[in-house]
Parts: sequence; structure tokens; C-alpha cells
Amino acid sequence: MRRSTTITAFLAIVAIASGCSGGGGGGSAAPSAAASEPAPSDSGAASPSAAGSAACNPERQEGVTLSFVSFGGVYQEAQRKAWLAPYTELTGVEFTEDENSSNATIKTQVESGQVTWDVVDVGNDFGLDVHKDLLEPLDFSLIPKDELNADLGITDYRIPDITYGVVLAYNTEVLGAGNVPAGWADYFDTAKFPGKRGAWDYSESGMFEFALMADGVKPADLYPLDLERASKKLDTIKDDIVFWSSGAESQELIGSGEVAMTMIWNGRGWSAKNIDQKPVEIQWNQQIVTADYLVIPKGSPNKDAAMKFIAYTACAEHNAGPSEFIPYGPTNTKSTANEAMVKDLSVTNADENSAYFDDTYLAENFDEIDAAWQAWKAG
Amino acid sequence: MATADEARRRPWPSLVGARPRFNRWSALALPAVVFLVVVFLIPLLAMGLRSVTDPPGAGLANYEQFFAQDAYVRVLTNTFWIALLATLACLVIGYPFAYLMTVVPGRFAGLLLIAVLLPFWSSLLVRTFAWQVLLRDTGVINRFLLDLGLISEPLTLIRTTGGVIIGMSHILLPFMVLPMYAVMRRIDPEYGRAAANLGASPLSAFLRIFLPLSLPGVLAGSLLVFVLALGFYITPALLGGLRDQMISQLIVQQIQQRLDWGFGTAMSVLLVGITLAVLFAASRAVRLRDVFGSSVGED
Repeated sequence: MRRSTTITAFLAIVAIASGCSGGGGGGSAAPSAAASEPAPSDSGAASPSAAGSAACNPERQEGVTLSFVSFGGVYQEAQRKAWLAPYTELTGVEFTEDENSSNATIKTQVESGQVTWDVVDVGNDFGLDVHKDLLEPLDFSLIPKDELNADLGITDYRIPDITYGVVLAYNTEVLGAGNVPAGWADYFDTAKFPGKRGAWDYSESGMFEFALMADGVKPADLYPLDLERASKKLDTIKDDIVFWSSGAESQELIGSGEVAMTMIWNGRGWSAKNIDQKPVEIQWNQQIVTADYLVIPKGSPNKDAAMKFIAYTACAEHNAGPSEFIPYGPTNTKSTANEAMVKDLSVTNADENSAYFDDTYLAENFDEIDAAWQAWKAG
Repeated sequence: MATADEARRRPWPSLVGARPRFNRWSALALPAVVFLVVVFLIPLLAMGLRSVTDPPGAGLANYEQFFAQDAYVRVLTNTFWIALLATLACLVIGYPFAYLMTVVPGRFAGLLLIAVLLPFWSSLLVRTFAWQVLLRDTGVINRFLLDLGLISEPLTLIRTTGGVIIGMSHILLPFMVLPMYAVMRRIDPEYGRAAANLGASPLSAFLRIFLPLSLPGVLAGSLLVFVLALGFYITPALLGGLRDQMISQLIVQQIQQRLDWGFGTAMSVLLVGITLAVLFAASRAVRLRDVFGSSVGED
């Protein structure tokens, strides 16, 4: 039995080692959205209304309970207030919520045949054609697809529910009055703008894209990524880079002035300025516009009800709802955002210098891109 | 010759040797063993299986993919390097501390014990953030020194391997101190006095009596800390520099975001496999049951 005591201890140690790493991985989102042509939607007011009106005015569905899963915090609260609560009032559909959206959990549920999630908010690295075994195809006879911003990488399995931007934020106190970085070239210019630079430590965070844009590549020509050229550009500020691994950290780094500039999700930049009251501003020029998406795990027990709810969130009347509370959204080009928030939204600041993630390319080439990122860091 | 023949016929001499000592009470361990088998051993095997069957017919392709990337291999070696450094740091801080606990009066030993356990009462993440606030360029220490005029540029205390070791050893220290203390307090102080009576200097008595007797505790603590350290990645991500990447982060990325579970499990198997190899090597050097089962059959 002594022997087995030893073996038990052995196993326990191994178990601790593999289970004790403590804490989550990346953030909610990763890179996104097909770099496609300008949205064909705006002008063609041809067909939307049929799908649109059905989506906006769903019938009563007593006794239905949907599970809605997002990323928690003020974000999910905004979705709750803008979409879930009114939907319950309108249709009688009740919601149960989880706040731990994860691609891996969806995969686990589908593989084990125990699907409990109906509607899931996911990052731009998910919901692509390569995930077709994990997701229900969406019903575009209900969802007003042609009203949705076509730059945001809609697939058969996902639609964008809110938009956000990966942007450059700067600390006005550290840079000094009048020193406004005009874009990513200035982020890489530590002679003209001294100070540390914040970046998300993730190979598909957008840093390769920003390096290329700083080097003069046009947004439309970003893909396929020239990894060598991007790495070379990144080399020029290697000693000045400070990595962050969560949105909260990025907000703190730029707010405290630990970094003079950072790449940041626009909501975090907004919070640094408006919630934390720090001297932080956003440079929208050369932002990457991306989105979070709604998907239905394959085998969802409430597939049809889930489809109706997703259609409801996409319809012009309700889609911009979250922007009442947070600087995210809308994705429906006919939807009008909260007036006070318009100047702080990614979509309303999008212009010809804005870029869009090519999600499919990024998913297909992840291994190569990640290896280049790791090699750059270690080199 | 007879003994050699016997040994050849019995590949597990210790197991056979242990059988006569089996007693009914050890059946109490059965639930724990069943639990470990169901919750850890079977998933571990399933993980191993997945690493060679996902995608179908993968064979060793996932492993080849890993070793084909120099950068990934470097992360793997770096993981062990950082774990080793953290273990050494814990040992250097922890040994004198554990020793102190054994020599001070009981009341103070209790206080010291609380001091060791205190970090357990707050989350790993909070403690790591606290180190960030202390160590970074605009942090407490640099502000203080700058304001005093002792330095003109912030010292680089963070985003270095040193920063990682500081953060990790703070978190892992209890795992080093407690096993060492458990062993040290059982060392009879009479031994030291006997050595002194026989003319040994305090140093010689320590080196020849106390130190060897405390070694099982040192090994237990070191192994525990080392193995725990291998799984870290939040602390290195928050306190380390560009090169202080650990493999757990790559695994999380593959499992959580990429959903490439074949590749992710292959990396996990590598980590577990090398860890087991380390434990096995350690078991050659010392009897592991002295290390982890030191309370069994003693006192």
C-alpha cells in the first residue's frame, strides 16, 4: 500500500500541475471580418422590409426558455437591457444566462451531445465555415441579412451583433499638449513620441496589421499578411513594447501613463477616459473595425426560438440598443445609434483608412501567423 | 546468486515486499483512488489518445508540427528554465525560513506559519497585479526612488525574467516551506547537541547532521514547486518580458480559441510527459515515498 500512496501522490501532483494554471486565456475577441468591398446594403432599400418586420415583431411564445451566453460585465448587461428584457416582455420568452462564452465550451457541448446553450455571443475568430460541424446554419429568411454591414464577415453560421474597433489610444499627459499621433506610423515613431507602447500579446490581435499599415500598406492590401515585413517593422520598437493580456489591463496601462500609446479595444479606451476619468484619447484613423457575433450551437434544443431572437437583435429597430449603455454597435446599417454615443463608435468613425480583419484568412493561416509571432518575440 | 535470480523473477520487488504489510484500513483510500482514476487518469489517457487521433489518422503529425516550429520548442525549454529558476528562488528563501520556524519558540513558529500561509488567502491574480503596481515604471518603488532623487530614470524591475521569478516565488513559497518544515521539525535536536558534545562546530553539525536529515523535505518542496511552476502562465504574462512565454499559454490558445484539440493535447502530453520523466528521474535519486509519504508509518 505504500507503493500506492506514492503513486497517488504522483497523480495528485500531475493533476495539480495540469489544473493549476489559474485563469483565462485571451479576451473575448480575436481578429475578424472579411476585408470585402463596401457594403452593398445602404443603397438597395429593395427587400429588407419583409424580413425586417417579421424579425422586429415576433409572436408570443409562452413557455419557451432560451439560454443566452455572452462575456459578462457591463457588456452583457447592455445586451440584457437592450435585447433580452424587452424580448421577454414582447414574447414571453424567458432567458437563462451564462457569462463565460467560449468556443471550447461550444465544441465540448456539441461533441458530447449535451447542448445547453442556445444563443452565444462569440469573438470574430469563431462562426466561420470551418466551424460548420459545431453550429446551426442561420435562417436568413428571418434575419435581415441585406441590412447588415457586409464588411463584417457574415457567414452561414453567424451574424455580427455589435461592432467595435481595435484602435490607437494615447495618454495626453504623457505625450504633452498638442502632440497627437496621427496613426500607426506615429505609434512606431518613438523618437517623435517618446514612451512605451502597449499591445495585446496575441498573434492575431491586429499588431501585424498595424505594423504593415505603419509601413505604408493600404488597408485593402493587408492580406495575405507579409509576416516578414511586419516582424521587421515590429523590431523597431521591440524594447518599448509592453504586453497586456486582458482588456482591464490595457485600460489601466494607458490610464496610468505606464504606456504613452497602446492598441486597445475602443470600449476600454472609452472607459479609461469616461469611467476612470484619465487623460486618454482615441485616434480613430487606421482603426480595425470588427465585431462580436451571435451563433447557435448545433443541436440546440431551442433552435427555432433562438433563430427568432437573433433575428430580433438584428432588426433595425433594436440592433443599436446596446449603444445606449456602451460604445458598441450597431451592425445593422439602417439602425440609428444612441446620439450621445455616436462619436465614440467604431462604425461611425470608419472611413477609407479603416481596415477589416479577414477572419477566414486568419483562421486558415493561424499556425503560420502564430509561429511568426512567437519567433518574433523570442528572437 | 540466489538473490539475483530472485530479483530477476520479481520485477516489482517493493510491491511484493509491501504485500504482507497490507491492512484493512488502507481500503479507506479506495474512494480517493477511484476518484483519481476517474477524474484524472482516464481523462489523461483520453488526452493522450486524442493527440494522435485528431485529426483522424494523425499519428505523430501533431508532435511533428510542434517540433517543426523552433519558436514553440523554445517556449517549451523556456518553460522548464523558468520553473527551475522559480524553484531555486523558493529554495533559497524557503530553507532559512523553515529552519527559523523550527528553532524559535512555538508561539513565534505559529506566527511564521501564518506569514507563510497568508498569500493563500488572496487570489493569484490579485497578488500578481499587486506586484505589477509595485514594480512597474510608474509603480510605487520607482516613484519613491524618483521622488527621492536617487534615480533619474525608472529602474527596470518588471517585464523581465527577474520579475517573473519574484511573482512566482511569492505564490509558490508555501509549497516549498511547508514540506521542509514538516521534515525539519521531526529532526531531534538532541542529534545536534550530541554532535556538539563530540566536538563538532555548529557549522559542521549543521552540514553533517541537520542538512542531510532535512533533505527529504528539500526534495519534496522542490519537486512540488517545480511541477506547479510548469503550469504557470498568467504570472509570466503579467510580469514577464517578450521572451518569458510559457507553454501553458500556447495550450490554452489552441484549446480555447483555435479549437485544434489534437495539437493542444499533443502539447499537453509533452508537458505531462516531461514532468513525469522529471519525477521518475527524481525517484531514482531518492525514494519518493520518503518525499511525499513521509508521514506514513512514522511518529
